[in-house]
Amino acid sequence: MLELVLSTVGCAALCYSLGRYNRSLALQRWEFVLNAPEQRALDALRRRIELDSALAHQALDAAARARDEKRAPDAITVLKVALSVLEDAGADRLTRLRAMGVYSRMVQAIRPLPPPSPAPFRGTRLKLSARIARLVHGLMVGTQERFRLWLTMMRLGVGIVLHGGRRAADAASQQPEHPKAYAEFADELSDFEALDASHLAAFEALAASLAAVDRGGRQQLWERIAGNTR
Amino acid sequence: MSELQWVVAQLVKVGLLALIVAMAMRGRFGVCWSFTLYVAAILVGNSLATLWPHRFYTPAFWVLKQGVYDLLKIAVGIELAWRAFSAFPGAWRIARVVILLLLTSSTVALAWLTPRSMYRNLWDWQPGVVTAAVWLLTAVALLVVLYQIPIGDWQRAIVLGFAPYLLVSVTLLNIWQRRGWQVREEIGLLDSFAYLALVLFWVRAAWRQDEPPHEMVPVRSVA
Repeated sequence: MLELVLSTVGCAALCYSLGRYNRSLALQRWEFVLNAPEQRALDALRRRIELDSALAHQALDAAARARDEKRAPDAITVLKVALSVLEDAGADRLTRLRAMGVYSRMVQAIRPLPPPSPAPFRGTRLKLSARIARLVHGLMVGTQERFRLWLTMMRLGVGIVLHGGRRAADAASQQPEHPKAYAEFADELSDFEALDASHLAAFEALAASLAAVDRGGRQQLWERIAGNTR
Repeated sequence: MSELQWVVAQLVKVGLLALIVAMAMRGRFGVCWSFTLYVAAILVGNSLATLWPHRFYTPAFWVLKQGVYDLLKIAVGIELAWRAFSAFPGAWRIARVVILLLLTSSTVALAWLTPRSMYRNLWDWQPGVVTAAVWLLTAVALLVVLYQIPIGDWQRAIVLGFAPYLLVSVTLLNIWQRRGWQVREEIGLLDSFAYLALVLFWVRAAWRQDEPPHEMVPVRSVA
């Protein structure tokens, strides 16, 4: 009976994983890894981060001004715009973090990142997760494992910030004239920017690791990869 | 051997011949040599048992050929892993450890926990061997997906075909153990049907042509 259970579990895991396996996607990913235009990608990400931050700040400032001028409905509307900017940016970061997790397994070595620190964050939950991540970071040996720990912490952080942002926006809807909710939203935005700085550092480390393979080696590896699948 | 069993065995033989032809036409013999050997061994075993049943359709020959098939299945798993991971030193290091752990634990479990391999107690040892093969293939599949290792459609079909058949095989052995020798023929027949389905799946996969991977154009060399 034990063999039957083990075989069923094994067979299910195998069929699920290989059933979802997409060879073209794997080849595309390898092509990207061996061909990554790292500086261009890095510049594009930096611009996107700056733009998201500027938009969210502008919306938050406009909301605060509307509140000061006793235009409560306008303040709430603009604060919700700031929240939607944050949500869109969060979705973008989560997608990239997932992709970075996949690519981090495909490179042989990753440039090490410093241990996570709670210092740049304002939120208690984010500070706590950074402290825990720092502790776990010290227990890990491999740079790839440490890199993926960073990614996990950032994914968690984005979730915490978005949750906090929604809560602050809800609180502002209930008491539009009260400045506390706006201040909380500003804290969440500041934490999001701190996470973005880590996001950029992680992306830079990954891009540098992808670039570490020399061009001849890339071509050779690609030929082996393509040859393997024929 | 009943008449129906003989007919199914002949169908399997035809399927295996079609598989060999398809593999030859598409140049798949060298993709996994142990699989080619496995198909050849199955064809030989099938032919001996159907052409000279008095001599080869016997418990002793069954145990012998099953041992050969099981060894070749393990070899298929190892060769597929080697071919898939050898270009990726990091992933290959992990794959080696995982495969070694699986093989060691399976060997220890089979050597210590199961009685001597004989036909009359085959449900005591054969499910363990099949489970080891399933988990070897599962480990290879999981590592391929985890590390995004590109494998061809044919290698994928080999592994995807084996796993459900091996599960059916373990299930049938389990039923046989519970019901006793009176269901032996029915179990044998069901197993043959399952194997026929597996062979037809492989024939279809072997005939299908892989999409050729395109050339890499290095971005930086253009810039």
